[in-house]
Amino acid sequence: MKFKTVGHSEVRVDAMAKVIGEATYPEDFYMKDMLWGKTLRSTKAHAHVNLDTQDAEKMEGVIKVFTYRDVPDNHHGVVLKDHEVFCSKKVRRIGDPLAFVVAISNKIAEKALKTIKVEYNEIPAIFDPVEAMMKDAPLVHENHKSNIIFHYKLRRGNIEEAFKKCAVIIEKQYKCGMVDHGFLQPEAGLAYMDGDTVVVCAATQYPHFDQLEVAEALHISQEKVRIINPAVGGAFGGREDITMQVHLALATKVLGRPIKTVYSREESFLAHSKRHPMVMTYKTGADANGKLLAMEAELVGDTGAYASWAINVMRKAGVHATGPYEIPNVKVDSYAVYTNNPFAGAMRGFGATQVPIAHEQQMDMIAEELDIDPITIRLINGFTLGSTTATGQVLSDSVPLKECIEAVENSLGIKNHYEEKMEELAMEAGVGI
Amino acid sequence: MKKRGKGIGSIFYGTGYGNGFPDVSNAIAELLPDGKVAIYVGATEVGQGAKTILSQIAAEVLGIPLQQILFVCEDTATTPDAGTAAASRQTYNTGNAIKIASENLREEIYRLAVEHLKINSKVGLKMADGKVYLNSFPSLAVTFKEIADTFSKQNKRKTLRVEGSFTALTTKMDEETGQGAPYWPYTFSVYGVEVEVDTETGLVEITKAVCAQDVGRAINPKLVEGQIDGGFAMGVGYTIFEDLGLQKGEMKNRRFSNYLIPTALDIPELEKIIIESPEETAPYGAKGIGEPVMIGVAPAILNAIYDAVGVRMTEIPVTPEKLLKAINKAEE
Repeated sequence: MKFKTVGHSEVRVDAMAKVIGEATYPEDFYMKDMLWGKTLRSTKAHAHVNLDTQDAEKMEGVIKVFTYRDVPDNHHGVVLKDHEVFCSKKVRRIGDPLAFVVAISNKIAEKALKTIKVEYNEIPAIFDPVEAMMKDAPLVHENHKSNIIFHYKLRRGNIEEAFKKCAVIIEKQYKCGMVDHGFLQPEAGLAYMDGDTVVVCAATQYPHFDQLEVAEALHISQEKVRIINPAVGGAFGGREDITMQVHLALATKVLGRPIKTVYSREESFLAHSKRHPMVMTYKTGADANGKLLAMEAELVGDTGAYASWAINVMRKAGVHATGPYEIPNVKVDSYAVYTNNPFAGAMRGFGATQVPIAHEQQMDMIAEELDIDPITIRLINGFTLGSTTATGQVLSDSVPLKECIEAVENSLGIKNHYEEKMEELAMEAGVGI
Repeated sequence: MKKRGKGIGSIFYGTGYGNGFPDVSNAIAELLPDGKVAIYVGATEVGQGAKTILSQIAAEVLGIPLQQILFVCEDTATTPDAGTAAASRQTYNTGNAIKIASENLREEIYRLAVEHLKINSKVGLKMADGKVYLNSFPSLAVTFKEIADTFSKQNKRKTLRVEGSFTALTTKMDEETGQGAPYWPYTFSVYGVEVEVDTETGLVEITKAVCAQDVGRAINPKLVEGQIDGGFAMGVGYTIFEDLGLQKGEMKNRRFSNYLIPTALDIPELEKIIIESPEETAPYGAKGIGEPVMIGVAPAILNAIYDAVGVRMTEIPVTPEKLLKAINKAEE
C-alpha cells in the first residue's frame, strides 16, 4: 500500500514556533492585575505540623495565605486520593505543600513564606521499602493497616518442579535508584476567572484529568473548570500528578484575580513524582541447551509518601518481569510500598524499565554458564508470533523481536566478539599446562 | 587501563493503561469553511511529536496535505477527552480514534459529494488534494470548500463535525494467578552498545550504540529516530549518571549542578534501525514507541560493562566510584 503522508518524515508541525521562540509555555503568560503565588513546603520527612501564618498575612502586599482550611475537598491523587492539597495534620515527605502565599509581587510572596512559623513534631520515619514492609514499621498513612498498598501475583506452571530440572540456576538481587524526569521546563502556571469558570493554564500530560481533580478539590462541577495546556517542555510521566493546579485554581476562585506561580528547578524536583526505586530478587533456570524453564522474582517498589501510579507501575513491572521470553514456569510477587521518601509515580517505561536491569543480566549469566553467546540465548527463548507470555496472553500479531535481535547483531557483531573472547580465554588458560 | 566490551538488552513493552481499565480516546473531525480540516482531541503534545503524527493520520485518510489539517489539542473547552499522554498510548489509541473520526468525516463528505455532483452512487468516488472526484471521469469533481459551503447553507451556518472513539482491548488479570491479557499491543526493542571502561578511574564511556526498534509502522521515520535519540540519552543517564543522593528522605542533588544528566558529549553515534511489522489493530499498523526506546539501554550497558571488566553491576547508577570499588574487589 502506498501512502501520501504516512511513512514520510514530515517536518514537525510545531517545530518552527519552538525553534524561533514563538511557542507559548505557561511561564510566558501575563495578565492585568495578576498576583503571584509561592508554595510553602515541608522540610521534614515525617512530622505532625502546626502553622502560624499571622505574620505573613499582616505583611504589606500579601493578599492571602491559603492552607488546608481553605480547600473544600482537601484531597487529590491519580488512583488513591492520598495526597492532601495542603497538609492538615502531618507531613509525609520533604517537599509536601503546606501553604500557598498570594501577594502582589513574587518577591513579597517569597519574603512572606519565610515569616510563616512551622512547628514540626517529628515522628519515626521509614526510608527503606523492605523495612517498611515489616509489621512494626512506622505507618506512613494511618488509614492503611500496612505500608504495603499493592501485591501483584503472577503464577504459571510449577516453578519448584521446573527448577529441579534445570542445568543452570542463577540467583541475584538487583537495585535501581530513584531518578527524576529532568524535563526542560520547570512547572509554571496561571489561573484566572472567566465568568464563573475557573481557567487554569499549566503544562500537563492529561488536561481532562486535571479538570476533574481541580473540580473535585474545589467542589464545583467539571464544566466550571477549564484547563488550557499550552506548549509543554517535556514530561516523561512527571506531569501526570498535578502540582500547582489546585493551588492556583483555589486562589483565583477565592480572590477573583489572576494568579501566577513559577517553580525554580529546585522546587520542580520537590514538587513532582520520581521513578520508583526497586529491589528485584531473581532466580532463573534453564536446561543444558539454554531453554528457560523457570523464573521466580520478587519486586519491591518504593512509592515514597504517596501512591500516585504505584499500583499500575508495580503491576506493569510484574507482567514484564520475564522479559520478552517464553518461560513455562513463573512466579512473580510485586509489591508497592509507602515510605517517607519523595513520592514515585509515572516515568518513561513505568515499571517495565526497571525489570530488564535484572532479567537481561540473568540471561547473560545463564548463557555464560552454558557457554552460549548472548545472541543465541535470546533467539532460543525470545517471543515469536504465537508465543504465550507468562500471563497466558497469546502474541497474535506483530512480534518482530528476532528481527530486532538480528539487526543489532548484524551491526555490532556480538556473537563473533563473544567467540573471540572465549578463544582468548581458552588460550590464556592453556598457557600454563 | 581501558577495556572494551559489548552488551545487548532486549525488551518488550505492553501499551496502555492495561488490566481491563477503560482506555478510551475520543476525537472530533470538522470540515472548516475554507475546506481545511480541524481535528479536536485532548491529547497532549509533550514534545514527542503527537501533533505531527496524529495530523498525518488524519491527512492520510482524507487525502489532503498535512498543512490542510488544523490540530487543536490545548483546551478542555474545545477538545474531547483522549486520555493521558503516557503509556506510549497516543499513537495507538488516539491515532485510532482520529483515524475513525477522519473516516467518518470522509463518509459524510462522500455523501454530500453525491448530492452535490448529482450522481447516483458514491462507488468510484476518490478523494485527493481537498477534492472529491469520480475516478472514471475526473473532471466531475467538487472541492472540500464547496462541500463546506453547501453544508453551512443547508444547516444554518453550522460546520460538518463528526466524532470518533476508540477503546483498547485488555482484560483484568486474575487476582490470584495474574493470568489474562493485560496490555495490547506489545512493542519490541533491542539495544546493543560498546563501552570503554577506564579501570583506573571507573569511568564508563559509551563508544558505539545501535537500536533496533519495532514500530509496527513508522508514521514519521524522522520522529521515530528523534524518540530513539532521546530515549537512549535518558537511558544512559539512568544507568551511569543520575543520582538524587537520597538521605533520610532528602534529595541532596536537586539542581542540575549536582543532579547530573548526560550532555551531547556523553552520547556516541547511535545507529537507529527501524523494524516495521504492521499491527492489525493499530492505525496504519503503528505502535507506540515513546517508552520502549529507553528501556533496553540500561541492560545493554550493564552487560557491556561485564564484558569489558568482568564485574556484574547489580545496582544502578553505576557511578565511577561504585565501578572502581567493584573492579578492585574482583581483583583481590
